[in-house]
Amino acid sequence: MGQDNGSTFTTQKRSSGGGSALPTTNGRAAGAAARTMIPRGRQIHKTFNNIKITILCGFVTILVLRGTIGIGNLSSSEADAVNQNLIEETNRVLAEIRSDKDPDDPADSTDEPQFLSLNDTYTLGPKIVGWDQQRKVWLSQNPEFPSSVNGKPRILLLTGSPPNPCDNPIGDHYLLKAVKNKIDYCRIHGIEIVYNMAHLDKELAGYWAKLPMIRRLMLSHPEVEWIWWMDSDAMFTDMVFEVPLSKYSNHNLVIHGYPDLLFEQKSWIALNTGSFLFRNCQWSLDLLDTWAPMGPKGPIREEAGKVLTANLKGRPAFEADDQSALIYLLLSQKEKWMDKVYVENQYYLHGYWLGLVERYEEMIEKYHPGLGDERWPFVTHFVGCKPCGSYGDYPVEQCLKSMERAFNFADNQVLKFYGFGHRGLLSPKIKRIANETATPLEYMDQVDIRRPVHGDESSGSSETKS
Amino acid sequence: MLEKCIGQQRVRRIQRAARQAKITFLCLFMTVVVMRGMLGAGKFGTPAQDLDDLTTHFYAARKHGEPHRVLVEAQPENENGSENDPKNYATFDFNKILKDEGGEEEKPDPNKPYTLGPKISDWDEQRGEWLKRNPNFPNFIRENKPRVLLVTGSSPKPCENPVGDHYLLKSIKNKIDYCRLHGIEIFYNMALLDAEMAGFWAKLPLIRKLLLSHPEVEFLWWMDSDAMFTDMAFELPWERYKDVNLVMHGWNEMVYDQKNWIGLNTGSFLLRNNQWALDLLDAWAPMGPKGKIRDEAGKILTRELKGRPVFEADDQSAMVYLLATQRDTWGNKVYLESGYYLHGYWGILVDKYEEMIENYHPGFGDHRWPLVTHFVGCKPCGKFGDYPVEKCLKQMDRAFNFGDNQVLQIYGFTHKSLASRRVKRVRNETGNPLEAKDDLGLMHPAFKAVKVSTSS
Repeated sequence: MGQDNGSTFTTQKRSSGGGSALPTTNGRAAGAAARTMIPRGRQIHKTFNNIKITILCGFVTILVLRGTIGIGNLSSSEADAVNQNLIEETNRVLAEIRSDKDPDDPADSTDEPQFLSLNDTYTLGPKIVGWDQQRKVWLSQNPEFPSSVNGKPRILLLTGSPPNPCDNPIGDHYLLKAVKNKIDYCRIHGIEIVYNMAHLDKELAGYWAKLPMIRRLMLSHPEVEWIWWMDSDAMFTDMVFEVPLSKYSNHNLVIHGYPDLLFEQKSWIALNTGSFLFRNCQWSLDLLDTWAPMGPKGPIREEAGKVLTANLKGRPAFEADDQSALIYLLLSQKEKWMDKVYVENQYYLHGYWLGLVERYEEMIEKYHPGLGDERWPFVTHFVGCKPCGSYGDYPVEQCLKSMERAFNFADNQVLKFYGFGHRGLLSPKIKRIANETATPLEYMDQVDIRRPVHGDESSGSSETKS
Repeated sequence: MLEKCIGQQRVRRIQRAARQAKITFLCLFMTVVVMRGMLGAGKFGTPAQDLDDLTTHFYAARKHGEPHRVLVEAQPENENGSENDPKNYATFDFNKILKDEGGEEEKPDPNKPYTLGPKISDWDEQRGEWLKRNPNFPNFIRENKPRVLLVTGSSPKPCENPVGDHYLLKSIKNKIDYCRLHGIEIFYNMALLDAEMAGFWAKLPLIRKLLLSHPEVEFLWWMDSDAMFTDMAFELPWERYKDVNLVMHGWNEMVYDQKNWIGLNTGSFLLRNNQWALDLLDAWAPMGPKGKIRDEAGKILTRELKGRPVFEADDQSAMVYLLATQRDTWGNKVYLESGYYLHGYWGILVDKYEEMIENYHPGFGDHRWPLVTHFVGCKPCGKFGDYPVEKCLKQMDRAFNFGDNQVLQIYGFTHKSLASRRVKRVRNETGNPLEAKDDLGLMHPAFKAVKVSTSS
């Protein structure tokens, strides 16, 4: 060992650049010079030693290099590892947020969920009778919560979306824009908004979720005269037009549709439940009770779907949806309900987007807000686009561009009041259309859409003057 | 040479000792190097970090794995053929949608100092006349109840963070609920009115425009998009503010004595609609225009205010500076409210929600049940926040549910827990719905009642 040490030591000294004049160097040289005189055994020994030293040095070099630079994937650097962890952690958090899993689901949630069987009867709640009378009494006892404000009946706009993030982020962005659009319209017209993000009844999930919520709001808010349901994919595109409620003083349900499609053709798209108004009264509660039974998830909804497809024209085969169910209900019990249902098509209480959005520029040129019909649609409804899901019925680019155009078309009517407008129907940037002055109220009086200043220029709506 | 001095035996012994010493040192050196390579040496770092430092030093342009760029859209595994599916939202690039038409931006005249708009000096008179001519739009809804407009907003472009828009949506729903219960109108802004005042300064031109366009509004309430209402029953004490024009959360000592840059918060404040407010906005704005002015102003603010880090001028620091240096002009009409959380920093509130539910009830608005929980620094819409993503988003969910529970209980429901999206029934339905009263009295609250007039 001592000899090895000596040999190693000698070699290390040489490799570390030890050019100092030490006796050992001479010794090595002397050894080299004297090699021919050394016996063979010793020579082999020396060779062995050299090899050992080489291997040892090689091993140490590799160790040091590995510590310094690493050997590719075998060892990544610390900073990368930290970064990788951060990315994985964040993606995990985002995936958790976007999934449907809930921390409060029971641990055995992998079991089959309990569905109502075909024999069970489903109810929205305890049967209410005499609601009209109850409501009247309440209103007389609570004069500070009247059912009309400034001469206009109180309306509550109900809309909503699922509580979890959309399958893709664009969906949430358009939900946000749609709710801004509704906030704008409702602020101008004094309507209150309820934005629902809770599934009140796990049986009636999906498009049926509006039924329990409508009933709940009616019963909790007797001061509300009309409840207006609007889908999250529908936007107001006429900010001046008002629903002519005086036209409906003898009706309890106002819904957009076509009577001939309904009665003659029995088409499944004869009416649209994306935007409709329900009066707060006993009749409405009864209709909701009659409407709900096709809704409960599971075998009931499936079977009901088959019945609807068999009876309504053009309906594809899928589970029961609220729109088909309402059409079927109104057709099969026509005498009971239809006299109080107003099927409206004089203006676009619901306006199917295809065919409308391309014409916005033409409308801007030829017409003006306040008409509500095909010249300047009241509501543009993006049926089938489904931006909150993963797949829609139409090409994504077409849908999103159209939604952006509709949003900006409506937003222009709001911004005009402040002297601004979008640079183009697809542009998020705005430009000034009226210069700032030191007397802003003069300009405002001319463009304020809440108060018809010049009586003849007011819209075609029959707004009751307060 | 040494041989002659000491003798050969001795020399050899010394040589051997020297050899062994050298071996020892060499081995020691080897050990240290290897250990450092394996375990690191504290702040001196590992050779790997040395290498990183070297590379970053020499290749400064190339960024080595930004630690913050974590919020990348996770692209789903595309099945074959779905990459070009035009109906698939997941593979769509949103940048194809927005088009910036009608190019030229109005370039501001660099020689003219920045103004928010033409100077108005008689706003009180103009407004008074308008209110007289329009009795249907009174500025007071009831005795002691002014007409309030809540203003908030966000960018017209989608958030960089894939769940950012979802949290903006929840935040606006939360505000819709509070404002519906309290009879307040909402203006949600998505337009940049003045390109020079971008970022946090964008609220100034917007506020001025809204004040001038809505003379019927008595108070304008600005609220950041990352602030949520967590006390649905608390009504602002309007009588307390009848003689002031600006209400912000903050402390007098911290603003006027310490000049602390977080002595007040401009994430949630009330501004009365009058001439004083217009003058204040004009005095506040000059530090805002982006570019050189904002950077230079930032340096002044960092120098003058306590605890302010170095960055461009922000509206909050500018307000602290304005009040601290011009107290005589503005101070008597400014109320720094600390009696309740007109702005509540989320860091000290969110962990205590369960405790609050157990011990207190809504209506306090203060530390017992905060009115507003403000997620300062979370920036859920952007990719980089000051706090870890998980903490921010999870706590925003909790705050949202905490507030939402107070709304749902009106209808007999509540969230299953503060972290859960699911709701459960807590009050059974009866055949006499009008007899049901919610615990908080929010179904028909007094602050929503309309004036009972003799004419219907």
